[in-house]
Amino acid sequence: MTRVADGTAQAPPLLAMRAIGKSFPGVRALSGVDLTVHAGEVVALLGENGAGKSTLMNILAGVHSDYEGTIECLGEPVAIHSPRDAARHGIAMIHQELNLVPELSVAENVFLGREPTTVRGTVRRKEMESRTADLLAGLGLDLPPRRAVKNCRIAEQQLIEVAKALSLDVRLLVMDEPTSALADAEVRRLHAVIRSLTARGVGIVYISHRLEELEEIADTVTVLRDGTCTGRRAMAHTDRAELVRLMVGRPLDELYPRRAEQATSAPPRLAVRGLTVTPPDGSPAVHGVDLTVAPGEIVGIAGLMGAGRSEVLQAIFGQYGAAARGEFTVDGRRYRPRSPGHAIRSGLALVAEDRKAQSLVLGNTVRFNSSLAALGRFATPWRTVRRRRETEAVREQVTALAVRTPGLETSVGLLSGGNQQKVVLAKCLLTRPSVLLVDEPTRGIDIGAKAQIHALMDRLASQGTAILAVSSELPELIGMCDRILVLCEGRLTGEFHRDAARGPVADQEAILTAAMARRAVAAAPSGRTAGPGALGSVAAPSPVSDAAPGTASHELHPKEPGS
Amino acid sequence: MTSVLKAAPDTTGAAAPGRLRRLLPLFGSMQSYIGLVLIFVVGVATKGDIFLDQTNLTNAIGNFASRGILAVGVTLVIITAGIDLSVGSVMGFASMAAAMMLFHHDMPVWQIVPLCMLIGAAFGAVNGVGTTWLRIQSFVMTLAMLSIARGLDRQMSDNASVGTTVAGSDGKLTPNSEAFQSLGTPGHNVLVGILGPDGIYFPVLAFFIVCVVFHLVLSRSRFGRHVYAVGGNPTAARLSGINVTFVVIAVFTLSGMLAGFAGPIDAAYSASADPLAGNGYELDAIAAAVIGGASLAGGKGTIAGTFVGALILTLLDNVLGLNAVSDNWQLVIKGSIVVFAVVLQRPDLLGGLRRRITHHSRTDRLTEEK
Repeated sequence: MTRVADGTAQAPPLLAMRAIGKSFPGVRALSGVDLTVHAGEVVALLGENGAGKSTLMNILAGVHSDYEGTIECLGEPVAIHSPRDAARHGIAMIHQELNLVPELSVAENVFLGREPTTVRGTVRRKEMESRTADLLAGLGLDLPPRRAVKNCRIAEQQLIEVAKALSLDVRLLVMDEPTSALADAEVRRLHAVIRSLTARGVGIVYISHRLEELEEIADTVTVLRDGTCTGRRAMAHTDRAELVRLMVGRPLDELYPRRAEQATSAPPRLAVRGLTVTPPDGSPAVHGVDLTVAPGEIVGIAGLMGAGRSEVLQAIFGQYGAAARGEFTVDGRRYRPRSPGHAIRSGLALVAEDRKAQSLVLGNTVRFNSSLAALGRFATPWRTVRRRRETEAVREQVTALAVRTPGLETSVGLLSGGNQQKVVLAKCLLTRPSVLLVDEPTRGIDIGAKAQIHALMDRLASQGTAILAVSSELPELIGMCDRILVLCEGRLTGEFHRDAARGPVADQEAILTAAMARRAVAAAPSGRTAGPGALGSVAAPSPVSDAAPGTASHELHPKEPGS
Repeated sequence: MTSVLKAAPDTTGAAAPGRLRRLLPLFGSMQSYIGLVLIFVVGVATKGDIFLDQTNLTNAIGNFASRGILAVGVTLVIITAGIDLSVGSVMGFASMAAAMMLFHHDMPVWQIVPLCMLIGAAFGAVNGVGTTWLRIQSFVMTLAMLSIARGLDRQMSDNASVGTTVAGSDGKLTPNSEAFQSLGTPGHNVLVGILGPDGIYFPVLAFFIVCVVFHLVLSRSRFGRHVYAVGGNPTAARLSGINVTFVVIAVFTLSGMLAGFAGPIDAAYSASADPLAGNGYELDAIAAAVIGGASLAGGKGTIAGTFVGALILTLLDNVLGLNAVSDNWQLVIKGSIVVFAVVLQRPDLLGGLRRRITHHSRTDRLTEEK
């Protein structure tokens, strides 16, 4: 740890990866990629999903043991074929999905597998806990070492991983999308920690999609596309436009291609009055929500985490069964939520929030997953499936959505995030829905796929589908939606329009104000405000104190356990 | 991942190997075939004359048929990420029920078999309800049912065997008893005249038919798709409109029903129902499914694989028996084969092993150079 930033010019780099190549069966994942990291430097690794970032970092971390090319640490060639080799050379990686044991304490996680023991072989608990406390203090984190990790917030867990890496005497730390689940204040704290690490001479490889973040933290940036290196820049001498061009390799399709709304005098495809539900699983409750979605309209739902956005979609889709009360009509017919199966038969489709956990059977094929919800369309009187018709329909949909897959019989688990999301969409569209409910449709997918999914939503709307969309990204909602409804603690607190002639115009500040208006709402006599007229009163916090105890985090962000 | 999937013309060229690739898993994994062939070769090499005899082979399969039928039901449950430990006991209960219906009530076989299937299905349905509505893990629920069904079986029979060869006043078998015996004894046959003078041995026929029917159900029907989806990701299955509770209950009910079907066959084969009949059969059934490529994690497995797995266990028993290997060693060998089969089905495991060996030598060379 004696190497300091000013010595880097002459000293051999901390890490030099040269001409790295890697093939998977049928796929050339990387070829001829170079990466250099000096002590005290933050190198950003940028690229779309599937560009090879994870493969490159997995090689460095010893996950993939066979690769082409050479790796040098401090000028010495090294062979990294297992995570243990990587640890021996002072390389640690913090994966996007954190590798902590939720049931164990903070200290037990930090020293997992390397617990200090007495002569008799028992664990020296006290020592472990005091050393953990020291490490955490060094990161500016005040956390009892005995607390179970499952009771820590995501941001804290992230820093526990950092502490674990530091306890290993790490020289090079790889962070894969470390901020994807963090709120702004937590991102700032993580960046402060990163700066203190680099001041100690640690090299950082930082993988992120968020360009604005890289401007703040990175010294240099290396861009990957389709497994090759397309550019290396000093962060100070580049700009976002250039980085996007290097990343995407083509002029980016317009990110928000929403065409102006046609006049919607047609009766709504989906109408909900007084939706009230208290989910049995402890998710946020929804109180008396009214909404309509006309044919060809895209309606967005905004709100803080815990405001009940996803719950509105899930209640409409029948996930809470008859526990969801209210009056519903779909295409003019009365509809009662009963079960997801009933919802699909009634013309609804849901793109769920978490595609891996809720939407896909990862070990099964593209064909199996795409047709799963629509098997009734291909059934014979004997309840068997007509394979040929099924394959044709799936191929047609997969082609229309431009899913990049070697074939229909490929496991969806092998596809990139964006392509998995397209398979989920294919599954929904094969049921020919008249109302499409989408929950975080572009979370965790790269910018190219994002633009494609937005274009698809626009195309579906222009064909007459009604779309109700939930998103944590306000620019996405503002860019794509004709109307935005704002939820706060399960109640509607605002409605904004794309078209100024129809009501207040959607902008980030107004939406955020409405999203944090819960005290005012609790004070309102009706318990519910609707329409643009209510907004003025909503914006001013009222002193009434009988509001529900505060639970919402005041960051507009999706995941926040413990809130 | 580099090419956008194109429409028809692109795929027609690859149609032939594509079809072959689709057909291959239908027959189970290649490795199990190799195992089957190996055992066959050993059988022929050591006791060729006796082993290849048709009577020996049909007897061997007939002996295992009831367990094979159980294995089909267990495979269904395993694909939904569950386990059914109760099938052996339920089969024992059904065989006792069949023998008592015959001995005490002189019922005809066409009544006994469906009734036994109903009894088994009832046990299975209770398993299914316990795992879904009461949310008891299937391992625990069916372990309890293993004990319950065995207890009821012993209570009902008063711990005594019941014979299925019932002699009439003239000293010959009664017609109903004779018909019942044809379920499990070579030479007696319900199908005489249809399939030649000697007909075909019923346990073997029953096993084949059960395999074909359930293979078609799993690979062709909507229900089959739902079974795989529920095992692969229950949440995704539910959000795709599948009634997960129904699928799980149905699968346990079918498994119980097959155990009920195997009961009379087993009783006829042994010419009596023993209160301990079927003890430990569930383990053979699970072993057959696992050798055939089913994963206890769910979402994976085929009836064709289970069929091959059952054949492997059958022929193994037979070959070892012919070579006078003691029962004790037979158990040890059977267990080792299960482990071996599972390892063979994990190419990643084998590849990793090979890589580790080569890398060790490579790292050694690197250090030598220094």
